[in-house]
Amino acid sequence: MTKPLSIRNITAHYGQTKVLEDLSLDIAEGELVSLLGASGCGKTTTLRLVAGFLQPTSGSITLGGKDLTKLPAHQRDIGLVFQNYALFPHLTVAENVGFGLKQRGISGDAKTKRVGAMLERVGLAHLAERLPGALSGGQKQRVALARALVIEPPLLMFDEPLSNLDAKLRVDMRVEIRQLQRANGTTSVYVTHDQEEAFSISDRVAIMHAGKIMQLDTPENLYQRPANAFVARFVGFENLVPMKVVARDGAKITAEAAGGVKLTLGLEHFGAIPDNFVLACRADGLAVTDNAAAEGIPATLGLRTYLGRAYQYQSETAAGMLVANGPLSKPLEPGSNAKLVPVPDQCTILAVE
Amino acid sequence: MKRFAGWTLASPATLLVLLGLVAPVAATIYTTFGTPGGPFAPYLAFFGSGFRRTVLLRTINVSLAVTAIALFVGFITAYVVSRAPGWLKSILIIAAVFPLLTGVVVRSFAWLIILGKNGILNSTLINLGLITEPFQMLYTQGSVIVAMVYLFVPLMVLTLVGVLEAIPDDLIQASASLGANSWATFTQVILPLAVPGLIVGAVLVFTGSFTSYATPQLLGGEQVMMMGTLMYQQAMVTFDWVSASTIAAIMVVITIAIVMAMNAAARRLNPMTV
Amino acid sequence: MPTKIHPALIGFTVLVFFFLVGPLVIVLGSALSDTTYLTFPPQGISLRWFQNIFEIDAFRRTILTSLQVAVISTFVALLIGIPASYAMSRYRIQLPGWLSTLFVLPVLVPELVLGFSLLKNLAFQFNAPIFLSLIIGHTILILPYVIRVISASLASFDFSIEEAAISLGSPPLKTFFTVLLPNVRSGVIAAFILAFITSVNDVSISIFLTGPGISTLPIQLLAHMEQFFDPTVASVSVLLMVLTVAVMAIVERTLGLTFLAK
Repeated sequence: MTKPLSIRNITAHYGQTKVLEDLSLDIAEGELVSLLGASGCGKTTTLRLVAGFLQPTSGSITLGGKDLTKLPAHQRDIGLVFQNYALFPHLTVAENVGFGLKQRGISGDAKTKRVGAMLERVGLAHLAERLPGALSGGQKQRVALARALVIEPPLLMFDEPLSNLDAKLRVDMRVEIRQLQRANGTTSVYVTHDQEEAFSISDRVAIMHAGKIMQLDTPENLYQRPANAFVARFVGFENLVPMKVVARDGAKITAEAAGGVKLTLGLEHFGAIPDNFVLACRADGLAVTDNAAAEGIPATLGLRTYLGRAYQYQSETAAGMLVANGPLSKPLEPGSNAKLVPVPDQCTILAVE
Repeated sequence: MKRFAGWTLASPATLLVLLGLVAPVAATIYTTFGTPGGPFAPYLAFFGSGFRRTVLLRTINVSLAVTAIALFVGFITAYVVSRAPGWLKSILIIAAVFPLLTGVVVRSFAWLIILGKNGILNSTLINLGLITEPFQMLYTQGSVIVAMVYLFVPLMVLTLVGVLEAIPDDLIQASASLGANSWATFTQVILPLAVPGLIVGAVLVFTGSFTSYATPQLLGGEQVMMMGTLMYQQAMVTFDWVSASTIAAIMVVITIAIVMAMNAAARRLNPMTV
Repeated sequence: MPTKIHPALIGFTVLVFFFLVGPLVIVLGSALSDTTYLTFPPQGISLRWFQNIFEIDAFRRTILTSLQVAVISTFVALLIGIPASYAMSRYRIQLPGWLSTLFVLPVLVPELVLGFSLLKNLAFQFNAPIFLSLIIGHTILILPYVIRVISASLASFDFSIEEAAISLGSPPLKTFFTVLLPNVRSGVIAAFILAFITSVNDVSISIFLTGPGISTLPIQLLAHMEQFFDPTVASVSVLLMVLTVAVMAIVERTLGLTFLAK
């Protein structure tokens, strides 16, 4: 039933504006891939192209080897879950779920049975005769999910399905969506702007920006080894320090940043380090210490904020303003001098673009 | 003072409607019950007259025909307008609003020029060699219906454009994604959601046609007398004010009954209410 | 993204708009004809029928009357309709539910019935002047439009702004004029225009409240048509259309035309 999706060299325009540029994406059978990015990055456009609500300027879309590019939306057989649920307000819950079956000529007992079973699965059997207006947000979202699943589509697509729910429900629902998707093994595309949601639910995540995929990888790899500065910033590497290797010594290198700051980094942690690179560190990846002998970036501390697990300092350095965390046990005063010591676990190396 | 602020502000308008509309209209209806021949004599006289029954039936028939045509034409037009791109939509709405703001006399007059004995339609047909003698098109039921459809289509279009625009694109896309072709989406999603608007439009057009005066007067004349023209004739030509009041009462009752019935139907059929 | 529409529906819509605009174009053409009878397409172009309007005393007088009636009744309707709309949104709980029904009554009751009733029970019964009856009839006719449009713009008015102004020391009446009215300005303009046009075009009420010595333009047009079939009526119609275009241009400048579709 489920099929792999292949998007090949898609370019798309809204009027004169190019919104997608030469985008390619392969999603394996049964895999859930999220498209993650800020609004206007092209993630929703990609979804609408696959759904058939937009036509690409060039490129092709195939589902299980079948070319969808020229097929009208209603013949594509894709299950869609909308941000605003898009439930038919004049139809009951059961009629909403049965809508797709009706279009496929399935009626009578067969339809009733499948609708009933699906409502059972999403836990809404008792609301079958209600109109959508009488449902809560979470219930509406379940109906939308049931309606998309009941047609047993080879591909499921979610367009920010949880953004209208409150925080607690959002977490519950994403677990539920993932469980249903796993159980059915349906190939899925999931569009969201919420990083935590994308990382928690997906097999792989495509981080998008300005109509391009910046990186497509597993959540673990994206989080720990971003491929470029954009993705690094996106996943929370707040400090990007350009550096140049000045000495190599076996398993260690010494590199210099602007302002003559020198650091020694171990290859065992970072792998190969090119001559020119960017050291990317989270705030936790720069430990603030008042030990003047420590090897780190010399800084003058600025504003201190309390994070609960640490203090965070806006730190003035020769390499620019950096954000670094220090221990709760030792609050340091603004204006004092300190060292920012890189913590290898919370840092990564980026090639210069 | 605050407790009466609402009443103080609303009282001039309230008094005007009570004294200028409710009281005189009630008085008009009241006089039809206090006649020498018994309380219902004017109504018995009205329904006893074959001519008046014909006028009433004709008025109902014409109004139903106008409503049906306006619903059909208006719905399709409103659907296309509601899905048109922004700039085109503005132009089309202007084109619909303009006739609406042009008076009923002017718009009926246009059909006098078109349908007259030496009118545009007759001379075109003669020039094309399709007929040799001019057709009698004026002063027929058809001419009244055509002119009234012309009168009310803009109203229907504007009523329905609002309703159809309120249907989110999402629903139409959801329908397509579930495998519905455009016809299925139209009949199973758009049409049911437009029902409340269709009811409002139908009421506006039906009551408007039922109580119209200028159009049947100009295009129907004596031959196609309707309730409005009959009432005017009774009041201002024969000066039979009891008879005119009776017709007025019948018009009020029918109009209000239809509005109330349709209101109830609209509430029951409105998919958005729970 | 616009949904795809079947070409047959588009074709149908094009025809409908021809049907809507065509007859008005024909009226315009006939008004320009240089002939003494109505014809289209016009034979020879002339403005003499426009000149003729002002040479006929009855037209001159009725145009004046129509404008007087429209201006006076529109102002009265705004004067009493704005406070009523305000009261209904601000003091809703104080006022009974039937009040809003009362203000729709003028739409429900057929205009002919209102006109006839005013003639019978006001002008005739109490010997009220015809002009006054005409003003009352027109004011009642347009009051629902005023209340509906003003109420719609008040619906989006945040009354806490008014309270903010009062808390800053502005007296209530002054607040009404300096804070509330400017915020519903577009509604007031729209109400004025709708009311004015409705009054100028009215036939069904005026037909009973006119007679020798006093008449409105549409009634005079009807009377003229029964005797003559010359382009004068067409040129008066064009004059009215020009008035409509002017008004629509004002609406467009101030509010955008889609406002009228609401």
